[in-house]
Amino acid sequence: MEKKLERIKRSIWVFHLNTGSCNACDIEILDALTPYHDAERFGVKLVGSPRHADVLLLTGPITLESLPKVINAIEATPRPRFIIALGSCGSGGGIWHDTYSTIGGVNSLVKILKERGVEVDGVYYVPGCPIRPEALLYAVALIRGLVEKKAKSMVATVE
Amino acid sequence: MSFVKKIIKPVEVLVVASKTGRVTIKYPFEEPWISPEFRGKIEIDPTKCIGCGACVNACPPNALEMIESEDKKTLRYFVGRCIFCWRCIDVCPVGAIKGTRNFELATNDPLDLYDYIVHNRVKCRECGKVTGETTRMLKYVLEKAFVTENYNNKCPDCRKKIFINAISMRRTGPVGEKT
Repeated sequence: MEKKLERIKRSIWVFHLNTGSCNACDIEILDALTPYHDAERFGVKLVGSPRHADVLLLTGPITLESLPKVINAIEATPRPRFIIALGSCGSGGGIWHDTYSTIGGVNSLVKILKERGVEVDGVYYVPGCPIRPEALLYAVALIRGLVEKKAKSMVATVE
Repeated sequence: MSFVKKIIKPVEVLVVASKTGRVTIKYPFEEPWISPEFRGKIEIDPTKCIGCGACVNACPPNALEMIESEDKKTLRYFVGRCIFCWRCIDVCPVGAIKGTRNFELATNDPLDLYDYIVHNRVKCRECGKVTGETTRMLKYVLEKAFVTENYNNKCPDCRKKIFINAISMRRTGPVGEKT
């Protein structure tokens, strides 16, 4: 994975993939691209087609209606392809994790993709409801290797 | 005329830009500005948590879940699903959950998103069967509410037996000696 990561480390071109989100995360993506936060410092560029993109910014819990289109978009992205799952909905299904019309987050999507033989080289999770624009910048900086990972699992046993 | 304007315009922009100065923040290399009301990741204090499950009931997206196994009760916190409403902080009876303003939760490993607190479950003093409560919760309940020594630390079935025995002793003598 690290070898593949090296290949997109220069400038990350992103495609914004909305899979049925409430638009809060989408607005934060636009916020991250404004001159105030300025994601273009890291070479991030929003492109209009998944064929030009390195990374897919996936927002929303992936509704059943959007699932075939999402798979098409991921298939169209050239390798190495990475997904940044944004928000609670993208990374874990959020409040819609067990509703009838969503598949609940990027983990189940990756499983479906595996069944179809579509490979994804890496998934980055950015929790938040909605995400702060800084959280997106942090994820991009994490891919570029500018910051260290702070998230850590805690396992505590009570006597 | 238009040729002169073409030359002057960039100069005008330069003047405006020098007045405004730089607005872009240097985020990953400096502290971000976060309002004091911002709600970020919650932190559960394992030294205080009693494993009562009040937060599990209150959590709208089931980010906090209680996983029950044979003799363990595990409180699992999945940040990837948390909507940061902080309702768990309001309902926690012992104040074990603390809100932070941490939002830098991005990771490439899904296992980093989980926090676990493993509780032991109480065994019945009479029959040795595992009851629902955790050891911490039993302690908490005994401190708060009055429970007769006869009944505490026993499973519901054993308690029922003791109760029926006590009643029958008063009325007809011990159970089983009738007829």
